[in-house]
Amino acid sequence: MNGLVLGGTYALLGIGLTLIFGLMNVVNFAHGEFYALGAYVAFAAVALAGLHFFLAIAVAIVAGVVLGGLCERVVLRPLRGESIDTVMLVMIGLWIAMQNTELLAWGGVAKSVPHPFPTAPLVLGPLSIAPLRLFVLVAAFVLIAGVHLLVHRTRLGRAMRATFQDADTAALMGVRIHRINTATFALGSGLAAAAGALLGPVFLVYPSMGDLASLKAFSVVILGGLGNLAGATAGGLLLGIAEELGAGYVSSGYRDAAGFVIIILVLLLRPSGLFARAERIG
Amino acid sequence: MSRLGRGLLATAALLAPFWLQNPYYLHVAIMAGIFAVLAMSLNLLLGYTGQLSLGHAAFFGIGAYTSALLTLQREWSFWLALPAAVALAGVAGWAIGRLALKLRGAYFVLVTISFAGVVSLVSVNWMELTNGPLGLPGIPVPTLGPWSLRSKTAYYYLVLAGAALSWLVCRRLVHSRIGRAFVALRENEPLAESVGVDGTRYLVIAAVVSAGMAGMAGSLYAHYTKFVSPEVFLFTYTVTMVIMVIAGGKGTLAGPVVGAVLFTALPEALREATSWQWQMLAYGVILLLLVFFLPSGIVPALSARRRTPTETPAPLPAAKGHAVGAASSPPPIAPTRAAGGGHAALPKRPAPAGARLQVRDLTVRFGGVAALGGVSFDVEPGTITSLIGPNGAGKTTAFNAITGYLTPTGGDVVFADGRLSGLRPCDVARRGVVRTFQKTSVFPALTVTDNVMIGLHLQGRAGLAGTIARRRRVQDEEAGLAAQAVDIIEFVGLTSRRDEVASALSYGELRLVELAVALAAAPRLLLLDEPAAGLTTAEKTAVSALIRAIREQGVTIFLVEHDMRLVMDVSDTVIVLNHGRVIARGAPAAVQADPEVIRAYLGGAGAA
Repeated sequence: MNGLVLGGTYALLGIGLTLIFGLMNVVNFAHGEFYALGAYVAFAAVALAGLHFFLAIAVAIVAGVVLGGLCERVVLRPLRGESIDTVMLVMIGLWIAMQNTELLAWGGVAKSVPHPFPTAPLVLGPLSIAPLRLFVLVAAFVLIAGVHLLVHRTRLGRAMRATFQDADTAALMGVRIHRINTATFALGSGLAAAAGALLGPVFLVYPSMGDLASLKAFSVVILGGLGNLAGATAGGLLLGIAEELGAGYVSSGYRDAAGFVIIILVLLLRPSGLFARAERIG
Repeated sequence: MSRLGRGLLATAALLAPFWLQNPYYLHVAIMAGIFAVLAMSLNLLLGYTGQLSLGHAAFFGIGAYTSALLTLQREWSFWLALPAAVALAGVAGWAIGRLALKLRGAYFVLVTISFAGVVSLVSVNWMELTNGPLGLPGIPVPTLGPWSLRSKTAYYYLVLAGAALSWLVCRRLVHSRIGRAFVALRENEPLAESVGVDGTRYLVIAAVVSAGMAGMAGSLYAHYTKFVSPEVFLFTYTVTMVIMVIAGGKGTLAGPVVGAVLFTALPEALREATSWQWQMLAYGVILLLLVFFLPSGIVPALSARRRTPTETPAPLPAAKGHAVGAASSPPPIAPTRAAGGGHAALPKRPAPAGARLQVRDLTVRFGGVAALGGVSFDVEPGTITSLIGPNGAGKTTAFNAITGYLTPTGGDVVFADGRLSGLRPCDVARRGVVRTFQKTSVFPALTVTDNVMIGLHLQGRAGLAGTIARRRRVQDEEAGLAAQAVDIIEFVGLTSRRDEVASALSYGELRLVELAVALAAAPRLLLLDEPAAGLTTAEKTAVSALIRAIREQGVTIFLVEHDMRLVMDVSDTVIVLNHGRVIARGAPAAVQADPEVIRAYLGGAGAA
């Protein structure tokens, strides 16, 4: 059950990254920093500004969207057409800069986000789950469903799918590629921030939390295949469950090794992802 | 850098302990030396093969732990532990290189990050071996005979020797057959494979040497700080290395050293004023600014400024794929001269034994579409055979399937009694079958001579050990290859352009460079994919003269070409392909008169 909760948020992270990777061909090493940003904004909104918890999550998502859009506009757009390696270096730079800004702004001490849920576990038949975790799970799936609807049922989504297939042709057909890129990066960053805001109250909030989040997002994307939304959702759940099982049966010290091992194994054995035949956003 | 400048710098480095009186400065110098080794090691991968490793801290850490554990627990001498650290890190590099086989770019980066992550977790969790997060204190100071290298001055010289050794290894590798293979893979991997460069093998070699050097840096670091903990795996180290290489200038020998000295000294100088968080923030911002404003790094920027304008290669736009217009370059290119007759001879080589290419029932399917539907034909030794057909007939697909760029769905390709099907492109080249590409394909950042030197890859044998030890045999081989390159360039008529960077040549000249690169690989069978596409009439005449001259040297030629005049002019046999099937074959005149061929080209009812 805990695996599912983790998996839901990993899926959010993975979907955001896979959209950016697949559509813009940007290896976004800063992705985890948007996750950390979401967590910190949620913390600030609840603990410092005294907002309600639900509102704080919304604020965090908005912050992720706005900052993501801004990053795309200022840093990535001038580099369009540069090689993927150059862009990768820039994203590494952004990652380090963002992480250390957080460190300077908030200090290195871990924070915890207060939340309004009772701590007594809900017992549903054989399952018992903390209400907070149940909420995280539900919220993650609502957001995932929302993204699927956005991509498959709206005009923006169609333009995104077209751009994913062939950006130049899409541009010739009148799709405003610049806008689509900005929207994609903003959406992906917003999803990462949402994941951070949701997991913030479950775990602690600290500056280097983004590193692990990036790693997990990459494992999810690699598991699911590039640009594959359904694959990322399934990959996220799979990783969450694999980690819980790994921590339970092997050793909790090696919990985070699951992500690394998955990346290495999948890339070696099935580079196109486990669900290569599954539906693609393109 | 001039010889004098290098000498001065070396002297300054040797005398550093005398002018750096303050032990703190000497400490900074030692750290700069260790980081210089690390940056050079990363540069070997990033700068020369073009693959970014974000797991280099793992090799550094493996070296540090190996050396620490061997001296602490087995009481080995430092002088044995150091090579062991190099070896173990090298083995780790070998594993990564092997594992990453076909992965490039972002995927390679992710595998290296993951590898570093796993190694770091092991160092934290394997308490019995590594003492976990507490680390290993009390690592002994190296001794040299009766002397302990406890003083900073002594240790400085040890590190300086390590850095000098690394520099020497890099220098010798880079200016060798192996280094050329690295750069070839970075610049144009398919072309490199077509002349026999084994991509996997050379990536593994680069990873092993690079990891070994990082391991040496780790050992030097462990015995200097006398303490290792899982902190050696910190991502910060990797990022610092990347910044040093990018800032100094990747793909240059001096760049990483300059970067290492600068980025060790600078943060130390700022340390008084700022905390390390600010330092890391600054690193991130510096990396961003570098990519935007100084993408090639300090060293290339400086040497570009020093170069006089006449030496700077004219920035002619290289016409890639766009044939029209590009061919009309003002200077009449050399083949016009060559066309006048009298080609220089290719380098003396044993005349290639005639061998027949047999293609049997070759089938290639893309999904449901059969690009080649069971094609069979022979290319007789010593002939010029052309493969023609309308667009989409499957000509280039046939070339790709014969030379290993595509795995055929079915059928057999046999050359000189050996099967080619199932071989990798580099192994096909080893059998004497070399191809060119339809789209102009050269190593754009290299000079014409260096392009041809890469083509000569299979003519050399120099291995890793011989290159690093700079054996006599290897030096002689290099001289021999350089002489061959001169002959080949003369043969295609590009002698006047041989020191130009390929990207500065005209389209017509580039097509000749391609031919020269392919010829350098000493083909017995040469597959030319539209060598005359987009050339002017004069250039086409020159190319057909060149094709004949190549055949005179005993090379069998298999040609795909759309220019019918050229095809009919040079060919002994013409094979016509349409919709993935052979519809005619024979002498040019007979094929021209074949009704089915006419129908295929001109259309009409019942086209095959």
